[in-house]
Amino acid sequence: MTTKPTLSRRQFGAGVAALGAASTLPMPALAQSKTIKIGFVTPQTGPLAVFAESDAFVLEQFRTQLASGLEINGETYNVEFIVKDSQSNSNRAATVAQELMFDDEVHLITATSTPDTTNPVADQAELNEVPCLTNDTPWQPHFFGRQGDPAKGFDWTFHFFWGLEDVISTFTGIWNQTETNKVVGALWPNDPDGNAWGSPDVGFPPVLEAQGYTLVDPGRYQVMSDDFSAQISAFKAAGVEILTGVVPPPDFTTFWLQAAQQGFEPKVVTFGKALEFPQVIGSLGDRGEGLSTEVWWSPGHPYSSGFTGQSSAELAAAYEAATGNPWTMPLAFKHSLFEVAIDALKRSADPMDPASIRDALRATDYQSVVGPVNFMTGPVPNISKTPLVGGQWHIEDGKPVLEIVENDDHPAIAKTADVTLIGG
Amino acid sequence: MPVSNTDAARIGFFLAVLIGLATGPYWADRGTMRLLIEAFYFLALAQLWNLLAGYSGLISVGQQAFVGLGGYMLFTLTMFAGMPVVVALPLAGVLTGLLAWPTAMVAFRLSGPHFAIGTWVIAEVYRLSFAQISALGGGSGISLPTDIVRGMADGRAARESMTYWIALAIMLAVIFGIWVLMRSRVGLGLGAVRDNEEAATSVGVRTVRLKFGVFVGVAAMTGMIGALIFLQKLRITPEAAFSVNDWSVLVIFIVVIGGIGSLEGPILGCILFFVLREFLADLGSWYMVILGVISVGIMLLEPRGLWGMVNRKRRFTLFPITRQVDQNP
Repeated sequence: MTTKPTLSRRQFGAGVAALGAASTLPMPALAQSKTIKIGFVTPQTGPLAVFAESDAFVLEQFRTQLASGLEINGETYNVEFIVKDSQSNSNRAATVAQELMFDDEVHLITATSTPDTTNPVADQAELNEVPCLTNDTPWQPHFFGRQGDPAKGFDWTFHFFWGLEDVISTFTGIWNQTETNKVVGALWPNDPDGNAWGSPDVGFPPVLEAQGYTLVDPGRYQVMSDDFSAQISAFKAAGVEILTGVVPPPDFTTFWLQAAQQGFEPKVVTFGKALEFPQVIGSLGDRGEGLSTEVWWSPGHPYSSGFTGQSSAELAAAYEAATGNPWTMPLAFKHSLFEVAIDALKRSADPMDPASIRDALRATDYQSVVGPVNFMTGPVPNISKTPLVGGQWHIEDGKPVLEIVENDDHPAIAKTADVTLIGG
Repeated sequence: MPVSNTDAARIGFFLAVLIGLATGPYWADRGTMRLLIEAFYFLALAQLWNLLAGYSGLISVGQQAFVGLGGYMLFTLTMFAGMPVVVALPLAGVLTGLLAWPTAMVAFRLSGPHFAIGTWVIAEVYRLSFAQISALGGGSGISLPTDIVRGMADGRAARESMTYWIALAIMLAVIFGIWVLMRSRVGLGLGAVRDNEEAATSVGVRTVRLKFGVFVGVAAMTGMIGALIFLQKLRITPEAAFSVNDWSVLVIFIVVIGGIGSLEGPILGCILFFVLREFLADLGSWYMVILGVISVGIMLLEPRGLWGMVNRKRRFTLFPITRQVDQNP
């Protein structure tokens, strides 16, 4: 007969008793402190991956600073960040938000970068009653896209970013500084941003008309198109000198190449989304010179982080030193997302209680690296607006440099140059 | 008919699994329930695709058309017609089935690979069409107001249990429905059509009518599952609703690695898919690459999938549908 290591009933009983006794002993101090879990949904892969480039740096910064815990009401808590990739897909964003809430049981959920990630996450949080903080989606697609009622707002979800009215004001502010025939061509896709920007009620058309611009709008196109001949010939026929739109980077590259091939040479080109990133401008070579865009943050912004104390310039420099990549606007917004979250946790009566975190979020009045954030004074409940100015790219020594050329709404953010015409 | 030992074992096994799953809300935590709901609807989609491709020879890569239609129907019926969710779910399936009728008339003009491409094109047409409907958010998509979902049941636990049971019921209805169908005259006819359409026609199987019926029936069930999916997602956009990746590629992956043309295969495929996803989804693009490599590998090793591997040595079946000659008359 072979001998097997066996456990007698008596031994088993003794073991269980010992375990039971051990569990009543005081646990080591480290394991005793409670952990606050913060979920973070971000488009790390897919067409919007460029928005997530600074994630790793920002998370590392916060993890290092919070390594020794966060003190709230005299008690020290561990803070854990759990990151999930939305794959730039709203189905996936909803699924990972549920995973974070049900499996990881996060105390607070955060998300950034475009409605496809922030909206599904906020919807899940609202239904499942988990406090939620998001940014980096213009506030109208976030609030009205989720059927928000300005009279009621939401219970659990908070969002900070600029809105449509800001981008309209910034773009027309740039154009008003130039000498053109005031004929504006618009390339607006059939997506959340394109529909909002092109809306005859809240978008560009009524403002342009009021300010004496002529709008040439060839209609919403499907994103990821490979042929813009129809739009280009419509713009050429109407004598468009100012070109605008809000398109994903690949679409802008295709459009801009075909515009060159077909001899369409506008004097001012101001786009949202595609032209926000130095990587995209860099890939255009000399054709990137003079393109303009809205600027949500730059190293020259007169704000500093309430968490690390870094000024905008210091944050950008730290990022460039650590990663070797040029600074991008989402960098500061990721940073601000977590600093606002940490601020709310610090003010919460009990960070283990969702309602308590929610109430603290609602009462937010905070100076962040992207400007003041206050959810009580917003245009609608649960929304806080951050400042927006206009910028223009110049190619210096082969590298794209962004100058601030328009600051009418926010004079505190200094202008660094005047608008120049493309090829002029 | 006497009950054999294997039948008794099979019935016992089914009962154990059924009871285990049906009591889910009493033993599973919220995370597990959420995962099971997702597994149920992926398995149901896989079985339905298997019925089309594995049993009826209709290789469609456009089933996302019906997932999306069902999802949009749910949003329309609950938001604009004010229907309660439990009524809107089955009705979304029925309406999707009705829309599948004209869709099938177009698709059935094509056959073989042309049919596959045709179904995909039709799904894209639906996607582009829904992107134009501004009442449903157009290309921007729309969220389901939380009050509608909250109105399903009293309290969070009751609502989540209810969703779970609905998902389980749909999945069981699909599996047992297909099982019963395949053991019937219709199943025999479908098998004949798949093996040789001309021969089947010549012996009197009404091939076109049969395939048409299966296609529309599958579409209706797929629509109901789509409604359930977007009840879970809470937000619908044309890209998400008519996503070829989420609702066709992954479903085909499940059927192909599990074993096409069997009811057991998709169950195995679904389990493997969820295990892989739990461990690999954080790898980003590499995750899709790994799924691709696995499916190519399995197809090379055993075209009948994992269930084919299991069945290589000893013939065994959970859902007997093939007929055998009785050895001892």
